[in-house]
This record gives sequence, structure tokens and C-alpha cells, in this order.
Amino acid sequence: MGFRFDLFLLSVAILLAPSLSDLVISKVDRRIDLTSQIVRISATLKVENVGPDPVLEVLLPFPDHQAKNLAYLATTTNEGKGKSKGPATSLPIEVVQPNEMPPALTWYSVSLPKGLGKGESLTLDILAVFTHALRPFPEKISQAENQLVAFQESAHYLSPYIVKVQLLSVKLPPDFKPESYTKLERSELSGSEIKYGPYENLPPFSYSPIIVHFGNNQPFAVAQELLREIEISHWGNVQVTEHYNLIHGGSQIKGEFSRLDYQARPHVGGASAFRHLVANLPPRAHSVYYRDEIGNISTSNLWGDSKKTQLEIEPRYPMFGGWRTSFTIGYGLPLKDFLFQSEGKRFLNISFGSPIRDLVIDNLIVKVVLPEGSKDVSVSAPFPVKQWHEIKFSHLDIDGRPVVVLEKTNVVQEHSQYFQVYYKFNNVSLLREPLMLIFGFFFMFIACIVYVHADLTISKSSASYVAKLQWDEVKTAIQQVQNIINRCLTVHDRLDATLRDLSRTGDVQACKVARKAADSLLKDLSKELKPLLAFLHSSPQAAQILPKVEDLVAKEHELQEKLMLKHSTVIEGYEKKSGGREMENRVALIQQKLTALRQEVDDLLEVIDEI
Amino acid sequence: MGQSVKPISSPVPDEWYPTLAVFMLAIGLVVTASFFVYEATSSRKNRSLAKELTTGAVASVFLGFGSLFLLLACGVYV
Repeated sequence: MGFRFDLFLLSVAILLAPSLSDLVISKVDRRIDLTSQIVRISATLKVENVGPDPVLEVLLPFPDHQAKNLAYLATTTNEGKGKSKGPATSLPIEVVQPNEMPPALTWYSVSLPKGLGKGESLTLDILAVFTHALRPFPEKISQAENQLVAFQESAHYLSPYIVKVQLLSVKLPPDFKPESYTKLERSELSGSEIKYGPYENLPPFSYSPIIVHFGNNQPFAVAQELLREIEISHWGNVQVTEHYNLIHGGSQIKGEFSRLDYQARPHVGGASAFRHLVANLPPRAHSVYYRDEIGNISTSNLWGDSKKTQLEIEPRYPMFGGWRTSFTIGYGLPLKDFLFQSEGKRFLNISFGSPIRDLVIDNLIVKVVLPEGSKDVSVSAPFPVKQWHEIKFSHLDIDGRPVVVLEKTNVVQEHSQYFQVYYKFNNVSLLREPLMLIFGFFFMFIACIVYVHADLTISKSSASYVAKLQWDEVKTAIQQVQNIINRCLTVHDRLDATLRDLSRTGDVQACKVARKAADSLLKDLSKELKPLLAFLHSSPQAAQILPKVEDLVAKEHELQEKLMLKHSTVIEGYEKKSGGREMENRVALIQQKLTALRQEVDDLLEVIDEI
Repeated sequence: MGQSVKPISSPVPDEWYPTLAVFMLAIGLVVTASFFVYEATSSRKNRSLAKELTTGAVASVFLGFGSLFLLLACGVYV
């Protein structure tokens, strides 16, 4: 392994030793966490201004080889001292390129909003997260071996300022003793922690490389590409679909893979492999699925409570170094947890990073698919991302859904922060989808109506066509007859009802009026009936059905007569106040006939209906 | 977040989707059936276009919303 001492850097650093400004770092306490595949360096800096002028920025240099792996850098400061510590406020950071500085360094500048006056001091908490900073050494191991990695850093805090006192502690995974580590004066190994320092009064740009070589069997899960698609539906759902392209980023496996060894003693026969991943989904996630190109992967577990939903997924095979897998997980989230309205705008408030724990994402693409009809789309993200817009066509779309695409490289857990997508949406647009469906069905009905109404016959003079036309006319006439008879029957029923009213109220006059109205109505109807019957007589096609129709008309006529008779009888009885029994007998007789006739008429109607 | 921020939820509660789908589709299919019965039985001259169109429109409104709720109940959030 090529231990890369940055000799050049060192020499330059020693040559160029002027203090950059009047800042002095009175104490640095660095803690390097190497317990996972991600390197987290947290440093507490006590900065003091010894010069006369107020200072507005603190410079943080990183060697280029580290800076290219830097995924996340945050600086916070605590106002106040001791127990009266206020809430931590984060300070803005930007990349700068100061003049006359040693090369091979990347500079970050932390702005101090209030400035640091003469003699004042300030405590800064810096968190820097690096990915791919642990180099597997050896690069290839067999199935049974543990994975060893090497990490390179400087025992001295690299700074353009004078550092008075500094401490460094390196935390290793607890399962292994380190293979080796650079021993300097005042370095000490206790348990799984290596301590360097304290070193005192070091000049600017002090650099003393150290290398730690240790075992680390934590899952080195690296998503080379992750595509997260977040689709909003105002009908009550936020659908998240995540396409992972995963690789084990640790030492590559050499030789054969023995399933037997792995299965029999997984801790010996596959120590460096990982078999499952855990995703912390938001609470109330539903319809969770886990699949790849060839279908559902059944090895997954899901737990949920009111605070979170935990999904444990197991790839189709254990992941050894250099092995790849790709899969898709998807879940639905309730709309009201993530979509909000404020000042006429709607916004989605959702987490940026992947829900999978301890995952390094080389390239993350987040697509937010807004509902059709959204306007004025804007994004607010807590860190810089590349963004552009697209159009996506999905179910029941006409002009496509606006999509905001956010892209970021080198993403770690620390990036799982909320970001917002603002847009304007009119609620009427919600009705687009149902209206489309409604018009779809309506066009089907229109097509049916057109088909039924259209005359598609080619030869308009053929015998069969003429016969069909005539039969249509006969049918029309018969239907009209039926219609008239039915109306007559309704009139009968109404008249009958007045008789019942009479027995209740004794209002003879009203009954007579009703009778008169019914008479005129029935007369009109029989007038309407006449031309129809004449037509049926003249039509040869109606010959078969004519007797039935005539029968029907005759029966109806009889029915009508009997009903009138009954009506007159009852009224007469009332007017003369004749004996109840006699009248009742007469009415009962008529009623019997009426019922029989009514039955016959109904039967005939049915018979004609069936033709 | 300010005070004016309020969560947005769907216009119809999610739990109603299956019920709505069943009932609206049932009504829609019944009206559709009556439409086709009318088309098939009434003769060419007796047919009234207005009645056909209204039956068709009513049926398509019910079928349209019914199928929308069916899609939503199935998890196809349009």
C-alpha cells in the first residue's frame, strides 16, 4: 500500500508559515468516528482573536484528497457559556480560494455573522463527514477473512492558525484490535480508541500523517445510483418509489463463494458480507413493496408504530465485496403529513435522503412529480443541489405532470433533511381525472346512440330492407297503441281512486268533475287510437298481430264501459241514498267483471310486448 | 413554519373510496342497462334523443366517478 505522505504539502507548509490572521486556536478537540463505513470527524474549536481588528470568517482547510470525499460539512456555535448555553446555531459555509496559500488544499470559510472582536473567543463545533475515505487493505479478501481498512489523517490539526493545545481521539469498531497504527510521541491505545496528544503550540499548517489499519465488518453499502420518485396525488397520497443500484464498497471477494460455508457459519464464512438493510420509513407508510426486475422479493419484514415504520429488506443473495444488486422499494404516505398550504401556495415537505441506515449514495436523484395543473414551481433545499424540470406522463394525463428533479452527489445520512417544493394548484384541476373518465364513458354512449340511429344499409331498395322499414313502422304503431292503452288504464285507476275518495268523504260533486275530465281524456285517447288502428289494418305486415291488438282495444273498451257503469252506479247510489246492500251487490258484480277484464288486458299487453 | 400553514388532505376521506366505488358503479351499471334496454326495445320512430342523452349522461357521471374511486381504492392514485 502506498502510504501517501503529503511531503510536498508538508514542505510547503513549513516554508509558508506566516500566520494568516490574528486568530489563534486555543484548543482543538477532534474525535474521529471510524465505526462504520462513513468517517465522521467532529471537532470542537476554541477560536480567539488576539489582533486589533474584528474577524468575520474562520478558514477551514482540507487536503484535496480528503476534500473530494467530503460529503457534509456543518459548523455550529453555541452562544453563551457553561450551563446557560443557548441553542446551537449553524453558520454559513462557502468554498473560497484565498491568495498565497499552499496548493493541494481546499478551503472552506465559515462566516461569523456577529464577528469576533478583539480579545473575544468563540467555540465552534465542526462536523465533517467523509465517504470512501476508508481504503480496503488488502483490496481482495477471501470469503472467510475479515475486512481490513486503512484510514489516513493528520495527527496535528491542519489549520492556517496557530494551535495552542490539541487532542485527537480515533474511535474504532469495538470488535477488533487495530492491526497497526502510526505511533507518535504521546499516542496511546485504550480499548478500541486511539488517543493522540495533547500537542501544544504548533505552528500553522502542521501536518503529521497517521495511518490506522483496522478491521471493520460493518456493511459497506454504497448506492451508486439512487432514484427517488415522489409523486403527489391530491386524492390523498404521496407515493415514494426508490430505485437502488447497490454495491458492497469494501474489500472485493476473491476465490469462490461457498454457500455451504456461508450458511453453516455465517459469522465465519461471510463475516465481511451483509445480508440485510434496514430502512426507517415515515410513520403511517402503507402499501410497502420491495421488488426487482424479476418480481417481488419476499425476504422483507415490516414493523410499524406511531413514530416510525421500519422495513428490513434482504437482497436475493448475501452482499460480498464488489457484489452488486439493484432493487426497488415503494411506499405510500398519507397526504396530510407531507403537504401543506401557506399563503395561497402549497408545499411538499419531505425528507431528501434515503431512508436506509448507514448508506452512502454516490449519486442521488430526487424527482418530485406534482399533480397535473401545478404552476409556479420552486424548490427550497437546505444545501446546494442541481435542479431542473421535466414533464412526466402518467395515468389520465393530458399535458403531463410537472416534475422537479434534484441531483446531488455524495449523500449520507446527514442529508436526510427536509426540503420543500412550493407550487400553486387550483382545486378545480382535481376534477380533471373524473371529467376525463366521464367524457370517456359519455362518448361510448354517444357512439351507441349514433350506431342505433344510423342507417347503415347499403341497398336501400332491397325487399328485405323495405320489409324491415315496414315492420319498424308497424312496431312503432303498436308501441303507440300500447302507450295509449296504458294511459287509458291510468285514467281508469285515477277514476277508481275518486270512487274510493267518495266513500270516505261523500263529495259527490268532486267525483262528477273527475268523471267529466276522465271522459274527455278517454275520448281524446280513442281519437288518437283511430289512425293507428287504420294504419295497422292497411299494413300487410301487421296481419299477424292485428287480431291481438284489436282484441286489446275491444277489451279495453269494455273495461272502460264497465268502469263507467260502476261509477254511475255508485254515484247514483249516493244521490238516491239507496240501501247499501243492494248497491253493494251490483257494484260487486261489476267489480268482478272489471277485475277479469283488467287481467285480460294486462295479459294481452304482455303478449303484444313479447312480439 | 408560520401559523397559517395547514395540512392538505384529500377532498373525500380515503376510507370511503371502496364503498363509493361499489355504490356509484352499481348505480352507473343499472342506468347503463336501462339505456341499452331502451335502445334495443324502442322502435326507431318512438325513440327520443333527449331521453337517450340524459340517460347516457347520468350513467357516464356515475360510471366515471365510480371508476375513479375504484382506481383510488385499488391504490392507483391518479
